[in-house]
Amino acid sequence: MSLWKDLNAGIVKENPVLRLMIGLCPTLAVSNNAINALGMSVAVAFVLICSNWVIAAIRKWTPDEIRIPIFIIVISTFVTISDYIMQAYYPDLYAALGVFVPLIVVNCIILGRAEAFAYRNPVLNSILDGVGMSLGFALALVSIGVIREIAGAGTVFGVQLFNTALAATIMILPPGAFITIGVLMAFLNKMENRVL
Amino acid sequence: MKRIMNLAMILMVFCVISAGGLAYVYLFTQPQIDKNAKLSLENSLREVLPGSADFEEVKCGEAQAYKSDKGYAVLVTPRGYGGPVKMLVGVDKEGKVVRVKVLDQKETPGLGARVIQPEFLNQFSGKSESDKLEPKQDIDAITGATITSRAACQGVKQALKCRRKIR
Repeated sequence: MSLWKDLNAGIVKENPVLRLMIGLCPTLAVSNNAINALGMSVAVAFVLICSNWVIAAIRKWTPDEIRIPIFIIVISTFVTISDYIMQAYYPDLYAALGVFVPLIVVNCIILGRAEAFAYRNPVLNSILDGVGMSLGFALALVSIGVIREIAGAGTVFGVQLFNTALAATIMILPPGAFITIGVLMAFLNKMENRVL
Repeated sequence: MKRIMNLAMILMVFCVISAGGLAYVYLFTQPQIDKNAKLSLENSLREVLPGSADFEEVKCGEAQAYKSDKGYAVLVTPRGYGGPVKMLVGVDKEGKVVRVKVLDQKETPGLGARVIQPEFLNQFSGKSESDKLEPKQDIDAITGATITSRAACQGVKQALKCRRKIR
């Protein structure tokens, strides 16, 4: 029961982007089209799940005073691994995400979950928390990406829906990200008020 | 004091494990990464100089160029709006532009980033040093991206000048 709760929390109730409002920087940067958003979600999911798992596993041997440096070592190791693997086996995705991959290190969702969850909970719960948070991040990022791509470029996942000339370029520029996130947050709040 | 030493030791152990893991991943991904870089450069070269047999690296000034039996492909990086625009310009033996390809750019999405589209780049095909190569004159600029358009023209001009120097 508690396992299910840990998995579920991140998806909507504690959605990292739309509820906890963490990890906004990469969200703004890579959500200008759906493909980038999906690629970033996959990379973050890999790092978040692996780092949650390792940090939960070593939590008994991690002294309190140096836990943050240890978290960062674990996180940056996984980020570098995913960077190499992406470069080697998914060069097209790497070309699109290249500059943002190293920035996963400072994505506060990952450090935040390490500190708030993985450091205090058993391995299985932590992995599930990572899965849930990753799904929540992916859900938010891909929705924002799809909305911005349709409104700003007239395409979705690169498929042309209508003439580019009709698209509002502002939506794929940084202001479009703020507008979309704001609207989605408002929508989510409204929904929650109605359900509860 | 003892406590501090202890903490430092623990931290060091974590660092060593992490470094070891990374070295291992690096060793088995690096050959593939190098291969990808070479392959993608070669594909781009073949795109700007179709039908070329083999490419040979040549220098012209500070720019990098590649020589083949069809002409030269010159790598230029004019300054755009968001940073350098890395582009490869294929020039045939008569000094005419064959094709232009943008390898890397950080221009504004939706505006300057349209510099990668063939509608814009194909305008350069067939141009030579006797052409003006100015946006709004013999090249249609990208709407809302004057600086990027100018950078692309500048890049092609540089490449043409460069090719003349090699000869």
